Amino acid sequence: MKILVCIKQVPDLESRFKPNASNTWFDEADLAYRMNEYDEYAVEQAVQLREECGDSSDLTVLSIGPDRVVEAIKKALAMGCDRAVHIQDQAVSSRDPWQIASIISAYAREHKFDLIFTGMQSQDRGSAQVGAMLAELLGVSCATTVVGFSCKDNVVTAKRELEGGVKGVMRMKTPALVTCQLGLNIPRYPTLPNIMKAKKKEIIALPVADLLKEESLAKTTSFHPPAKKGGGLLVEGDIADQVDKVLALLKEKTAVLR
Amino acid sequence: MDFELSQDHKVLQSAVRDFVEKEIKPIAMKIDEDHMIPDDLVTKMGEMGLLGSYLPEEYGGAGLDMLSYAIVVEEVSKACGSSGVLISAHTSLCSGPIYTFGTKEQKQKWLPALNTGEIIGCFLLTEPDAGSDAGGTATTYRREGDEFIINGSKTFITNGGYQGTGILLASYDRSLKHKGISAFIVDLKSPGVSILKNEKKLGIRGSYTTAFAFDDLRVPVENLLGQEGKGFNIAMDTLNGGRIGIASQALGIAGGAFERALAYSKERKQFGQPISEFQAIQFKLADMWTRIETSKLLTYKAACLKDAKRNYTMESAMCKMHASETATFVTKEALQIHGGYGYIADYEVERMFRDAKITEIYEGTNEVQRVVISKLLLS
Repeated sequence: MKILVCIKQVPDLESRFKPNASNTWFDEADLAYRMNEYDEYAVEQAVQLREECGDSSDLTVLSIGPDRVVEAIKKALAMGCDRAVHIQDQAVSSRDPWQIASIISAYAREHKFDLIFTGMQSQDRGSAQVGAMLAELLGVSCATTVVGFSCKDNVVTAKRELEGGVKGVMRMKTPALVTCQLGLNIPRYPTLPNIMKAKKKEIIALPVADLLKEESLAKTTSFHPPAKKGGGLLVEGDIADQVDKVLALLKEKTAVLR
Repeated sequence: MDFELSQDHKVLQSAVRDFVEKEIKPIAMKIDEDHMIPDDLVTKMGEMGLLGSYLPEEYGGAGLDMLSYAIVVEEVSKACGSSGVLISAHTSLCSGPIYTFGTKEQKQKWLPALNTGEIIGCFLLTEPDAGSDAGGTATTYRREGDEFIINGSKTFITNGGYQGTGILLASYDRSLKHKGISAFIVDLKSPGVSILKNEKKLGIRGSYTTAFAFDDLRVPVENLLGQEGKGFNIAMDTLNGGRIGIASQALGIAGGAFERALAYSKERKQFGQPISEFQAIQFKLADMWTRIETSKLLTYKAACLKDAKRNYTMESAMCKMHASETATFVTKEALQIHGGYGYIADYEVERMFRDAKITEIYEGTNEVQRVVISKLLLS
């Protein structure tokens, strides 16, 4: 079985963000980066499947971005991926989900993967579109927000998290793609011996220009912190008093009662 | 000159950080209260590869370098100084000398179980009357056929309570001073070994500090480490490497205390504003961070020199001395920033303040480090 897992490197969410000079993304200087949380679930699930299938299977990890993303790639290799593809792209943060999905599909189409794992969404842009778009571009089945996974005789059973605490179970034949959600598994720590072994694993570097043929469909026009909200109003007094005050406020400050 | 960690070292640092955050930080206070690191944590640290970081893969180690080892001890010590010194004494003082001075057979026999943490190692040099003056070793050995017979006592043995594998220094003839000393690999579960006590201490309470008596302990001749009469040199070389471990432990304790002090100074309000707005606190934070950064530079430099197989005696003495004094300074200031709460056992800086002090004392007191540094300057 040929397996692909796609990961993104995102800034540590505890960092302090400020807009960049063109006001289209955050300033990347001095930020600490790590693997997108949902992609860690994807890597863990892919590695578990790789272990179940044994040596007849092969697991590739793919990431797009500048040199710094190799750190996330190395973590995935230390967790158990067999090899890596680094699509070198200095301008990754300006790409829309359509372009990212197109880049990955250009690579994946040639290599005919049986299963593709992605995170449910990225923690920084959070569009949750790349996985589903990639499946569509490749013409394979897709299950999103997956919290349970098994694969037997080329049939994937995926438990999906739906709204309001409802779960759904899907069965689909490979080739297929799943996007992974919190609760699917607990990602393993890369152990020190595996970090060492990962150093010897192959990382194939490909320039993005070889794979990207699409223009972006969406454009970021502005990036700014949310406007500071004024303090809340505390309505006090007995209940009749409070009702009068709320009514007065609604009349005065809103259009609800006009 | 590049002061950035390599991507491989960053991967390692973040992996160890995640491990420490989930497995050690939540139980660090309990380790101190119980005077014990749970066996389960020792097993997990072994599985993670923290107990054989720089030993080669062929002997069950991770095959990484000394800088990786320094990062491991630092990150673990940020949460728990006791767990940090367990790793440091085990790796630098037991597995280290077996790897450096042992025969192939000795390495094959002893290292795999040490590197996976199945057995915990220790170093038996200090005696009631021989601390900084290792030449005064009073534990003796004599040869009988294919065995050495060892008699005497050892004290302040870090990790001793695990009764695992030890590197033991003993003298053939006390009048020869340091030239009469040899090193042996001993199994501390053997007949003739008894634990006199596990000491109660000011800090690093989760770490064993053990006193041993040896009464006709029989050690097979193949357990002699290095040449007979060269034990003192082995001990000095071992402590040289060990100091990088202690410097890393001190650096970690200081880093952990700083993180808490910085966060607390932003949360704690007095006179209507966070105390971090007061210059008195700002200056403390500036001093603390500067000392942490200088300690880190010295410690990482010593580790890199050892990795490059260059002489690092001066640097290991300097990093141990400076980082340990940084740890006592930073934990003292962190406690002061916490005010009365810092003195209460519920706040972790109280433990860190107690844990820091030992780093100025063990593996060569800071007075001995100053002797080493000044001798090299004047030689």
